Amino acid sequence: MGFLSAFASWLGMKKKDVNVVVLGLDNSGKTTIITKLKPAEARTQDIVPTVGFNVEKFQTKALAFTAFDMSGQGRYRNLWEHYYRECHGVIFVIDSSDKLRMMVAKDELTLMLENADIKMKRIPILFFANKMDVRDSLSSVKCSNMLELEKIRDKPWHICNSNALTGEGLEEGINWLTDQVKDILTQKKK
Amino acid sequence: DDKWLEAHYDPVSSLYTFTQCITMSDINADGDHKLIIADLGTGSYDMKLKVYKGTSLMTENAIIDLPTGVVTFYMDTNEPHTPAIAVASGPFIYVYKNLRPYFKFTLPTLSVNPVEQDLWDQVKEDRIDVMSLREMLDGLRCEGATLTVRSMRFLQLQSHDLEPFASLHKHAPLKRQTVITCLATMKKSMAEEDAISCLILGTESSHIYVLDPEAFTVLATMDLPSVPVFMSVSGLFDVEFRIVVACRNGGIYNFKRGVKEGKTVFELNSQPVGLERLGKNIIVGCMDRTLQCYTSKGKKLWSVAVPADITTIQMMDHQQKGFKAILVALANSEVHIYRDKYLCNVMKTPDVITGMKFGRFGREEASLIMTTKGGGLVIRILKRTAKFEEKDISAGPPSSQNQKLNVPKKTKLFVDQTMRERENAVSMHRQFQHDLYRLRLETARNYVKALDRSMNPISTNPQEPLKLAAQVQGLGPIFKLTVNLQNTSMTVPSLDLIITFQYDNTLYKFNKSIIQTPMLVPGLNYSFEALVECLSDKGISDTVKVFVLKKNRSVPIIAAIINMPISEAMVVV
Ligand SMILES: Nc1nc2c(ncn2[C@@H]2O[C@H](COP(=O)(O)OP(=O)(O)OP(=O)(O)O)[C@@H](O)[C@H]2O)c(=O)[nH]1
Ligand SMILES: [Mg+2]
Repeated sequence: MGFLSAFASWLGMKKKDVNVVVLGLDNSGKTTIITKLKPAEARTQDIVPTVGFNVEKFQTKALAFTAFDMSGQGRYRNLWEHYYRECHGVIFVIDSSDKLRMMVAKDELTLMLENADIKMKRIPILFFANKMDVRDSLSSVKCSNMLELEKIRDKPWHICNSNALTGEGLEEGINWLTDQVKDILTQKKK
Repeated sequence: DDKWLEAHYDPVSSLYTFTQCITMSDINADGDHKLIIADLGTGSYDMKLKVYKGTSLMTENAIIDLPTGVVTFYMDTNEPHTPAIAVASGPFIYVYKNLRPYFKFTLPTLSVNPVEQDLWDQVKEDRIDVMSLREMLDGLRCEGATLTVRSMRFLQLQSHDLEPFASLHKHAPLKRQTVITCLATMKKSMAEEDAISCLILGTESSHIYVLDPEAFTVLATMDLPSVPVFMSVSGLFDVEFRIVVACRNGGIYNFKRGVKEGKTVFELNSQPVGLERLGKNIIVGCMDRTLQCYTSKGKKLWSVAVPADITTIQMMDHQQKGFKAILVALANSEVHIYRDKYLCNVMKTPDVITGMKFGRFGREEASLIMTTKGGGLVIRILKRTAKFEEKDISAGPPSSQNQKLNVPKKTKLFVDQTMRERENAVSMHRQFQHDLYRLRLETARNYVKALDRSMNPISTNPQEPLKLAAQVQGLGPIFKLTVNLQNTSMTVPSLDLIITFQYDNTLYKFNKSIIQTPMLVPGLNYSFEALVECLSDKGISDTVKVFVLKKNRSVPIIAAIINMPISEAMVVV
């Protein structure tokens, strides 16, 4: 980040650019969430399973996010780690109605946390326990128990229930993420 | 476990089922594969068709009789393109579409034994009483006739139940029906994943039927020498196909398109507990704790012993990884994974596994569904990062065995010789046998002769175990004959022995013709000497026999023959 743009953002003239990777198993609702975060006019209509990854941009009150919406399909999951180095935060989407694959999500989370590029960094991780509207879906507390999130001690994390179809819960999560990323950036500057 | 994720374990899901009654399929065409299980219930009631979405039970349908197989298949091209479920139970196939009963197929009836038919006709006209009916039917059964279910049931009844049973059933037509023992599917004319498939059924009457998926008519019937229990099907019905069948008699048979009688591929020396086909190879798990692999021609490739009884086997075909292996569930609550003949993973399970299926479940490609003896349901998912190292826990021959030796080229001589041997194999064998018998005969004769004359250097008399060795020294005309005697017994000394010689007394002269031996202590070597003078100067020689005798017995204990050397001419100085 150049000095000038840093200065500009400090003055509030320009929103700071940050990168986030959006991870989670296939069909968990990553693309749906990211689409919902974009302004209504920029939304693409139908959402299909992502192939490889998509790059999407959206803004919050303080930051301009560039989101790497990864594909969650098994054969593409090895792409995830290539985007860890550049990211300021992680959004991890869980399909709270897919109890069967909770252990698979946990396995992928563990692999991510053990990756050298993530392990070193103190970056915030935001979990969405998505599809809260589906009958018999797990609560965010239950999800965090099954994923053993309490074991993450060296990174700030937050989990909230969400419904990507209505947008419920998304704002709470993104606000938390924005605050965390801002905090870390200002700490770095000092 | 570094390879499997424990996705779900319910020890009390009250499932009682086997591998053939478990399948996974996208029956709602929503990309979420459901688990379909025909539950045998208690074995006599509570039989159910259960469908699970993820880990929760979605629907249940009661089944009348014990299920013996469950498959899903596309029976039409209607939209939405959803597969139907077929459950084999007794003589029926129940077909469910969109989880609702849709059609019931009944196996064709078999011909009834004419005598049996006649007997029941007589019952209908009240021309025979139940007691003699029972006697006649029992007689038929003892002669080996296959009776109808009605007659069999009749024979099981107590005397006072006979009459009501007969009058209840006598007016219904007599039918002989068989039951389905195994069920499979075969694509009809297109190989696509969602192409229309025929149902293949094996029956207790040793037949295989191919059913048309739309009209449910029998397209083909095939005969077997025994009852089919496991089937592996490949190919297209309208083009070319193979059905490999394992039968209850331990035989493995093969059907091609257009063939009515099964061709024997090979026979097992133990009963099969599972059959899978991996490429061109046939893999069978047997009751004698072996996993065996054969080519489609019936050549045995390998056989590995497993540490416990096999309960079921299942193919693991992971297309993404290009990994094919055989899962073998054992009675010691383990599942062993074999890639070829190499054990590459051992999985511990909380109970003995009786049914398992590997494939896509939910949205997960590599799921392993297992049901336990105690009614539990275990679902494990293969980790994305799991790697199976071949020969991980290597059991089998060392790798050096597979190295090719640098064998030199065959020479012309070798080839000619081989040809000659091949052409004259029979006469060579005869000649060899002939000579061998001659040799044996000759040997036996000489042995008898030696025994008769005690002409062997070691005594055969257990009372006098002795060893004799004699040698001649000198150039002549005077030789020294040394006789070595050893008592070979462990403890008993030999007494009263005499050494004497037999010779041509015109040719030789001995300085003493009898040597009295002292007591022979066991194990020690005693030497006795005698001087022999050769009387001839013509350069001839003869043999001298040495005997060891026991006092007061005429037959020598042992004897030796010494070939005397030719005496050098006397040098007169
Ligand atoms: N009921 C419900 N459905 C949702 C929700 N979020 C997403 N979906 C549905 O879930 C399906 C998958 O959503 P996607 O956004 O494509 O999932 P994804 O994580 O991007 O999947 P990949 O790109 O394959 O990794 C779509 O049919 C969505 O409509 C939710 O909160 N509730
Ligand atoms: Mg997507």
